[in-house]
Amino acid sequence: MGRNELILKDVTKRFGGLTAVDALNLKVTEGQIYGIIGPNGAGKTTVFNCITGIYESEEGSVNWRGEEIRGMTPYQIVDRGIVRTFQTIRLFSQMSVAENIMSGRHIKSKQKLWNGIFHTPSSRRDELENWKKVEEQLDFFKLSEFAAVPTGSLPYGIQRRVEMARAMAVEPTLLILDEPAAGLNDKETLELLETIFKIRDRGVTVLLIEHDMDMVMEVTDYLTVINFGKQIAEGTPEEIQKNPAVIEAYLGSEDDDDE
Amino acid sequence: MREMQKYAYPIFLAVMAVLPHLLNSRWQAVAITFLIFTVVALSQDIILGKSGMFNMGQALFFGMGAYTTAILNHQLGWSIVATIPLAILIPAIFGVVLAGPIVHLRGDYLLVVTIGFNIVFVQVLQNNLGGVTGGPNGIFGLDSLSLFGINLASQVAVYYFAFLVLLATLWVMRNLEKSKPGRALHYLREDQLAAESIGINTRIYKIFAFGLGAGIAGLAGTVYATQYAAVSPEAFEFIQSVLFFSIVLVGGSSIPGILLGVFVMFVLPEIFREFATWRFFIFGFAMIAAMILRPRGIWPATFGKIPKFLIKGGSHGA
Ligand SMILES: Nc1ncnc2c1ncn2[C@@H]1O[C@H](COP(=O)(O)OP(=O)(O)OP(=O)(O)O)[C@@H](O)[C@H]1O
Ligand SMILES: [Mg+2]
Repeated sequence: MGRNELILKDVTKRFGGLTAVDALNLKVTEGQIYGIIGPNGAGKTTVFNCITGIYESEEGSVNWRGEEIRGMTPYQIVDRGIVRTFQTIRLFSQMSVAENIMSGRHIKSKQKLWNGIFHTPSSRRDELENWKKVEEQLDFFKLSEFAAVPTGSLPYGIQRRVEMARAMAVEPTLLILDEPAAGLNDKETLELLETIFKIRDRGVTVLLIEHDMDMVMEVTDYLTVINFGKQIAEGTPEEIQKNPAVIEAYLGSEDDDDE
Repeated sequence: MREMQKYAYPIFLAVMAVLPHLLNSRWQAVAITFLIFTVVALSQDIILGKSGMFNMGQALFFGMGAYTTAILNHQLGWSIVATIPLAILIPAIFGVVLAGPIVHLRGDYLLVVTIGFNIVFVQVLQNNLGGVTGGPNGIFGLDSLSLFGINLASQVAVYYFAFLVLLATLWVMRNLEKSKPGRALHYLREDQLAAESIGINTRIYKIFAFGLGAGIAGLAGTVYATQYAAVSPEAFEFIQSVLFFSIVLVGGSSIPGILLGVFVMFVLPEIFREFATWRFFIFGFAMIAAMILRPRGIWPATFGKIPKFLIKGGSHGA
């Protein structure tokens, strides 16, 4: 097994005539907070979908820890330590916060199918241990007071936190966040930054998409900028800020955002 | 609400436990039907309510259990009780095998395919395939219940057999709720993509739900065959599946909702004989009204079955 590295080589994903991701290369190394930025419709989310198995790219390779994961199903990829959140929050909205987080314990739980029919002392122990792990996440994400509340009725900012807590309950090696700050107010965004740093300090590599430029510059160690599915620049935040191609493509198009 | 349920269940079960002694024989028969159909509706709830799969063929598994018991008893001379394991296992295996190729289908397609299965099943029974199903007349003259050589021919004994089966079903469903597979069903029903993205192999759990639901329906079939000492194809027609489907949908995926649905559909028609012809009409309207006013059912499923130490706003009590 290689190091905890994610390497994309010439990843291409088409939708009909549209090339949403065009021969993209990137390399996320262990311990990084890695950012992907780009204008609306640049193909950022599609890249994440290709990494997490929701789509299979037509060409190229997605290599994780020395293993090709292109073509695997989402749950196989989760099993290998990659977990994601969604740009449009996807929680189990009728279920409580605690139950949502418990879904992240699914692959860690040792219960077998027949434990759905009858329990054994070891399945009861396993059940309790996993609820304790849920409790840890509730504490870490300051969600304890909402434990029994259905997520659908919670404000946006809290829902985002639940989604991250659910992902962290898997104990991932690589956490993938699709616009985690979207819809958050300034205070919530600051808290999010802190949380992301704490997660990294626990040894989790973070790969995120972000629209908020200030936030990206503050939180990431390394960045890839894409436009029309193609990489147009990569580097540290300082390098990216000075890159003329980025200023033109990214900032230029931001004026067109409301088209 | 939860407080109320805490008392409601023991009271309900206590009433059901003494019920046959309060009823004459005609009403005992109605009560047995209520118990059997409740079990079938609960088994349908595992597939439709908990997992959100539009299965319109639950009568197939019910019938398969009933015929397994009838054939083993009548042709091979097994005692009724001895047929139970196979009356569970054979429908369960069929559930798994039939579900395998179809669980990935979208709701409406799944619905049509399961109707197809149900119709084929009834045709097979009608045509006396293999010469064991007795054709359109079915099989009659089954032995009565007996255990350890004691004959339990009375209707009260059948009632308690049905009651025991209901208790076992409720016990399994409670275990399911508090287990990894049970939660997986809820997750995949709520959002399949999110469930897969958090590591759940949804296909396995969908097939599991079919197998479990089919097995429980099969067991209910044994009780049904015992009650009438007979089985015949028309009891397992696709229209029966429609009833089970509607009960779960209109009642809501909850035990009180299902009890209510079974009561309205199978007990009220006995009380008001005129109602029998009207029940589809009335139930049809109830369905329409419920789906508009209460799309999650009259008595919707409640989630939040989480350990107490997580509530109360903190971890410090744990
Ligand atoms: N399932 C799909 N079918 C067809 N086209 C798609 C699909 N998903 C994405 N696209 C298209 O691919 C392109 C890239 O979309 P994507 O969602 O990856 O962009 P993005 O960079 O995440 O944008 P945003 O910043 O708005 O989230 C867009 O033109 C989009 O319309
Ligand atoms: Mg996006």
